[in-house]
Amino acid sequence: MPKQRRKFVVLIVAFTIVTFGWITIGTGADEVPYVSISHLLSEGHTMVQENFRLGGYVEEGSIVYADDHLTVEFTMLQEDARLKVRFTGLAPDMFKDDAEVIVEGRLQGDLFVANNLMTKCASRYEVDLTEPGIEAHMEI
Amino acid sequence: MVQLGGTLLQIAFLLGVVTLVASAWYVKTLDLRFYVGGRRSLMTACGLVLIATATLVQQLMVGNYALEYVARYSSRATEGLYKIAGLWAGMEGSLLFWAAILSIYILLVSYSNRSANRSLMPYVNMVFAVVLLFFLLVIVNFENPFTLLPAGTTIEARGGTGLNPQLTHPAMLIHPPMLYLGYVGFVVPFAFAVAALITNRLDATWIRSTRVWTLWPWLFLGVGVILGGYWAYAELGWGGYWAWDPVENASFLPWLTGTAYLHSVIIQEKKNMLRMWNVILIMITFILTIFGTYLTRSGILSSVHAFASTDLGIWFFGFVVLIIAFCTALLIWRKDELTSTSQLESFTSRESGFLFNNMLFLALTMAILWGTMFPILSEAVRGIQITVGSPYFNRITSPIGMLLLAMIGVGPLLAWRKTSRSTLLRNFKWPVSTGLAAMAVAMFLGVRKFYPALTLGLVVFVFTGIVLEVFHGVTARKRMTGEGTWTALLSMVDKNRTRYGGYIVHIGILLMFIGFAGRAFTKEQDVSLGKGESMVLGGYTFTLDNFYTQQRPTHTAFVADVAVTREHKPVTMLHPERRIYANFEETPNTEVAIYSRPLQDIYAIVGGMNPDTQKIVLKIMLNPLVQMVWIGGFIMMLGTLVTIRPSRAERKLRAAEA
Repeated sequence: MPKQRRKFVVLIVAFTIVTFGWITIGTGADEVPYVSISHLLSEGHTMVQENFRLGGYVEEGSIVYADDHLTVEFTMLQEDARLKVRFTGLAPDMFKDDAEVIVEGRLQGDLFVANNLMTKCASRYEVDLTEPGIEAHMEI
Repeated sequence: MVQLGGTLLQIAFLLGVVTLVASAWYVKTLDLRFYVGGRRSLMTACGLVLIATATLVQQLMVGNYALEYVARYSSRATEGLYKIAGLWAGMEGSLLFWAAILSIYILLVSYSNRSANRSLMPYVNMVFAVVLLFFLLVIVNFENPFTLLPAGTTIEARGGTGLNPQLTHPAMLIHPPMLYLGYVGFVVPFAFAVAALITNRLDATWIRSTRVWTLWPWLFLGVGVILGGYWAYAELGWGGYWAWDPVENASFLPWLTGTAYLHSVIIQEKKNMLRMWNVILIMITFILTIFGTYLTRSGILSSVHAFASTDLGIWFFGFVVLIIAFCTALLIWRKDELTSTSQLESFTSRESGFLFNNMLFLALTMAILWGTMFPILSEAVRGIQITVGSPYFNRITSPIGMLLLAMIGVGPLLAWRKTSRSTLLRNFKWPVSTGLAAMAVAMFLGVRKFYPALTLGLVVFVFTGIVLEVFHGVTARKRMTGEGTWTALLSMVDKNRTRYGGYIVHIGILLMFIGFAGRAFTKEQDVSLGKGESMVLGGYTFTLDNFYTQQRPTHTAFVADVAVTREHKPVTMLHPERRIYANFEETPNTEVAIYSRPLQDIYAIVGGMNPDTQKIVLKIMLNPLVQMVWIGGFIMMLGTLVTIRPSRAERKLRAAEA
């Protein structure tokens, strides 16, 4: 192999390794594991990551707004597990009782302090006619 | 009558099979009748797909709510043009739309190659037929938009559900068609690359024949991605335009590899190098478009764009695997012929500039792909779904983006083959000094953040380089031809449209980077205000004058009147709204109020009212330089059009031929 060509090959290989290292190694700090509430409560303290993503439902009647309406606390349900969540900011349009939500944040004692609150709606752009609640709603 | 659409698609499917068989037979026997027959049946199939699509559009327009698809995505209340948008609002329609656009491309390519590329065309037609067959198979068997509702269903009587109100935004009329035109269009260069490999005609002919067919899809995809960002910004109300959402990424990835391809083909045209590389790049691009469609349609990744998840995923996945296997086999078969004859001579050459540019584009693609797939990969490996959000993407892509930005400037300043030290010094002297000066001034003026300051420096560096290039070109031409400055400039651009159109695109990119840097200075505050109360942000005072509820024909709106003043002088009135549409009572809709100025947008969203305190929640944002992203995108579009338009000499030649 000519010398010039070898130099290029070495460079490309080195670049590829550096890129791949750059992409993969630094991931740790930004990792947000998607865990269940019970998993977080039982094993969260043993995990290296600080931020977690949880999915569940808003317990009916549990939403409490602070006076300024900016901080909201509610209880999130997932199967048998429950967790109190606090979020500060403008809650999304579809946030209400029984809504399916995803929160991101960290656990502080018994309270999950969320820095992100998303409402999940599988039928956001599509009405699923087979989903029981939806058909009922459409009868209105 | 309506099911006729489905029948047409079935006939089109059969014709696609005929194309495959006839073209293969032509290749074996060289009996021209089979080539012509294959070509005609393919074109007929495309015509039928278009008629079927027109049928669906017509059903959406007249509102035949007996069709399940029409009942879901249209309603009596849906306004005129948005009825057409129903075509791409749902899974079935959008797959048909995909097939329809593919058909248009096939018809155009067949027509423009009616007497050209005779040796490549049979294979090109076969590739087209396979892709079309796949989509028709999926549509006819799993996602047929011509399915009737079960008798006595209530939505029929109610006149349809209608389009989700968030999708009733002008950008939504253009954004999806643009994305599809981009996605689907890359099938053309892909088909030619495959044909070139099979026939072993690996010179730059296939690249020249597909030049326009690569530039248009690239333009459409770029415009589509930017419009998607604009829609998110103007309609969704979180104040940004890019969230690294899986579906956004899926549309961005083929754009990145397509951009790499647009650059590296220049090397093949000029130097007959990187032949293997170009074939691989266009294959990757095409695979990413199918993969992107797979990500969007399968629901394997949760996304704001999530269509209801279906079992379609496995089919798309199978198709992707099939294409990858086929491409790999082809490449291995032809690997000896693909090896370049000439070689790179020096690191400081235009050639290696292009090579580094390509490597950076691929690195960016890899980084984004890795982050997008991370939840799936981590679940497979570690058994737990781990997402990496915007922080990951921003941290990883910023430095690669900066290097790419630098390369936009470095590349054109390098000479072909080898740049001598004195040329290097002469070419870089001014751009580097003005770039550094701009950085120093910015830091002196208080831009203390690293990336924005660096971005500004690099933008000025690149811009100076372009200005000098154009200036030298014009001066030389004036001296040679004695033309005036403007004539010299215009004829210079006309003579080398790829290059100067490319510079215009680069200037658009520079503006977009300035817009991205502006995001670092976004100011944002959520506040709870009663009537007459005010808040201060970034020197502006926001006073809540009034809020009220208004009944309108299609919805009920909760409106806030917010007066914006600066140093007691009125700036504007903002009227953010929260709307509740009929048929969508469960999902209130944010209507953002934006006051746009080139240097800064004032952005306001209204949340709910607290009945106890009679206060409402407002989110106010000051978004600097967002306009630069849209303006930059527009300039990019203009530059691409300059490149696409044939030069005066070519136009004359064509007129003479016709």
